[in-house]
Amino acid sequence: MLEVRNLTKNYGDLVAVDDLSFEVDEGDFVTLLGPSGCGKSTTLHSIAGLVDPTNGQILLHGDDITDTPPNERNIGMAFQHNALFPHMTAVENIEYGLKMHGYSQKDVDDRVDELLELVQMSEHGDHKPGELSGGQQQRISLARAVAYEPDLLLLDEPLTGLDRVLREEMRREIKRIQDEVGVTTLYVTHDQEEALSLSDKIVVLWNGMKQQEGSADELYESPINEFVAEFVGKSSKFTGEVVSVADRVVDTSAGEMYLDGSMSFEEGQEIALYVRPEHVEVSPSSVEGKNVFTGRARQVTNLGSYAEVIVELANGMTVLAETESFPSIQNGDDVYIQFDPEDVIAL
Amino acid sequence: MIVKNLPIPKRLSTRMTSRTLVVIGLGWLGVFFIVPLLMLAMTSLNLDGGAVWENYAVALSGVYISAIVRSFYYGLVTTAISLILAYALAYYIVFYSENERFMLGLVILPFWVAYIIRYLGIQLFFSPNGPFVDVFGSNMGLLFSTEGVIIGLTSALLPFAILPIYNSLKSIDQELINASYTLGAGSYRTLVSIIFPLSLSGVVAAAIIEFILATGSFLGPALLGGPGNTMIANIIATTFRAGFNIELASAIAIIYTVILTTVLVTFNSVVNIGEVLSDL
Amino acid sequence: MTTDRFLRRSGLLSVAVFVYAVLLVPIVVIILTSFTPRPFPTIPTRGISFEWYLALLENSQLIGALGVSLVIAAFTSVTSGTLGTITAFGFVRSDIPYKETLSTLMLLPLMISPVITGLALVRFAGQLRIGSGFVAVVLGHTVLTLPYVFLIVRAELVTFDRELESASRILGAGPVESVFNITLPVISPAVISSMLIAFVVSFGEFTATQFLVSSGTTTVPVIIYTMTRSGLNPQISALSTVLIGVMFVAALVSGLVNR
Repeated sequence: MLEVRNLTKNYGDLVAVDDLSFEVDEGDFVTLLGPSGCGKSTTLHSIAGLVDPTNGQILLHGDDITDTPPNERNIGMAFQHNALFPHMTAVENIEYGLKMHGYSQKDVDDRVDELLELVQMSEHGDHKPGELSGGQQQRISLARAVAYEPDLLLLDEPLTGLDRVLREEMRREIKRIQDEVGVTTLYVTHDQEEALSLSDKIVVLWNGMKQQEGSADELYESPINEFVAEFVGKSSKFTGEVVSVADRVVDTSAGEMYLDGSMSFEEGQEIALYVRPEHVEVSPSSVEGKNVFTGRARQVTNLGSYAEVIVELANGMTVLAETESFPSIQNGDDVYIQFDPEDVIAL
Repeated sequence: MIVKNLPIPKRLSTRMTSRTLVVIGLGWLGVFFIVPLLMLAMTSLNLDGGAVWENYAVALSGVYISAIVRSFYYGLVTTAISLILAYALAYYIVFYSENERFMLGLVILPFWVAYIIRYLGIQLFFSPNGPFVDVFGSNMGLLFSTEGVIIGLTSALLPFAILPIYNSLKSIDQELINASYTLGAGSYRTLVSIIFPLSLSGVVAAAIIEFILATGSFLGPALLGGPGNTMIANIIATTFRAGFNIELASAIAIIYTVILTTVLVTFNSVVNIGEVLSDL
Repeated sequence: MTTDRFLRRSGLLSVAVFVYAVLLVPIVVIILTSFTPRPFPTIPTRGISFEWYLALLENSQLIGALGVSLVIAAFTSVTSGTLGTITAFGFVRSDIPYKETLSTLMLLPLMISPVITGLALVRFAGQLRIGSGFVAVVLGHTVLTLPYVFLIVRAELVTFDRELESASRILGAGPVESVFNITLPVISPAVISSMLIAFVVSFGEFTATQFLVSSGTTTVPVIIYTMTRSGLNPQISALSTVLIGVMFVAALVSGLVNR
């Protein structure tokens, strides 16, 4: 439905977006994920028509819209700082796009009522943005963006200005509203948690280039490179030299480590290994199996139903683990850690 | 109330760039301000006949040159007095006043009242039937004298000095002042080593604005000065209106503008005049 | 330490009171003397009188000048407001060479003595065969007030959030529509303020105006100045108080608009 082809944007010598291509299917929720300055915002602004790409094409429903002015693209957008018009009420803000899209007065009125209900703001239609809380402003901003049934909804880090609790509430709201409206959505964020919980598909960007594209599970389970492995989800990293391809053994500074599955490496090659914390088992007593290491619990953080434990190994490296039996492990305890070869991500 | 589908021809909207807007504004100012000034400069050169520098020779002699010198002298004195008063008040408003908005409002209020009315108020204040004479029995020579002009200029132009200093004091991070106290400096030491240096940009801005406005004043000396207190603006006006000698009046205007510009350009290497005025 | 602070505080307070007196006494004196029952401008101590205001009403020349002044100020405010806003837009939104220098040029009328501006303009108007009078005064006042509008509107535009215009564009409005629907309404308090300032400056301007008026179109400040030349009387105070009233109303409106 949306197709970005070889998009490139240079600001002088700076390459903000470098030959980026991806597609968004009808009705999907796709996220552009990356650290600040990775080019995700520039990409979104190019799709909106607010930035002229240096190179490449943007196709919507198969039509090349690269040179179409933003007001003729029929796209909706919610901005980072919501960009509500301060001199208009919530209702007038929502009406603006409808009127610009040629809705009759009656349709405008009906639609505004519908939308206020959708975002649960029926009580606040006559308030100006300055009289609304951050979360309420963001709701109006969403209603305004989807009011005229745009072909595509763009969300530019809309939760950035909100505090943590509100952010989680609004995250669910965005998902609910998107489900109800069914609009194809492209979301931009630097927060991997938001990306993982919201998206049908995630495109990871770094330095203006696409690193990997896939579902949340794919990115988490099989990151394609070190950047994705480290940026998406938590993990502990080891580096080492492949000792034996046949036995799938890697010699790391913490000791020998066993992998599973097919190995596309050669003996003697330096590789990076990642283990997700939920795959690391911590135990006060000795455990059976491969990849067992000893260490000392350095920091035990109670996170409610489980605890996060930072374990310092004999060589000084730290490993992040999760355990549900946290009362039995205290700071400073000597512990054993173990993880299955099949849970080691080798890159 | 929403403007929609404006009938703007595409050719026009692509041509109406921001640059066009700049050209409109600068062009207007060029035609109705810069060109007239240049024509005045040409007038002063006797291009219709006569010696080219004749008017300048006259302007640099006798009553004319003394009025020019007097203007800059009055300008300096007014600036010095205004800076002291303005700094004290701005300091009070920022660090001691309880109702800052109201106190600042009282400074801005005179801004809205025309010079001529405020100078007239000072004249009335010191006039034989005015409150000053009622209390002290005489005006102590504070009217139609050098003192009168300085008092008038100071009073009339003071808001221009207070506001930049206020802005610069206001923008000082309170943490820096607290840091100075916790490091053991007393309040006097803090004022001298922390607050004053950080407010210097505002002081310089205030000084430049005061000096420009004071030296160019017409109404100050006209309403509060005696025959011996005329300044450049008065000499220019008299030469033109009473003497009908626009060539000479132009020459004095040009000389004054050149001197003032030189002073300002010299200062401009230290501070940006544009930024100074933006401070208002 | 507390006595030290107390002394400092009261010392500063007395200086502050003195400075406020320097700023405000002239205005207060004008207003008070306008109510004197005596034939010379004294502070009324025993009873007040409105006779000088009634005398103003009977002076048809004055009433005429008041009308002229108001019309000139209104014209000035509109031309200056429009030109200044347009120019501020241009400067903020474009990337031109020597931008800083050129914007300083816009402020030149504040730096050149208004006597010189008046002299230059009367000469110019004469050569263009405009002559002195209404048009010349409006031109002169527009030159003198343009920098105020430019400075105020430019400061407002610099802090204006351009994402609002982007939002308007995406919602379906063209670039010019976005400026009229969004940008101008949002910056309008600053524009209105600057136009009120232009109005008041024009309304009270004397120095340049004295060169530009004709006998048919005289403004109130010119009349006040002429009156002071022939001796002070309470009628001048009354007239000045009327002007102060207009100026305070403008200040008040500006304050309310910018709340």
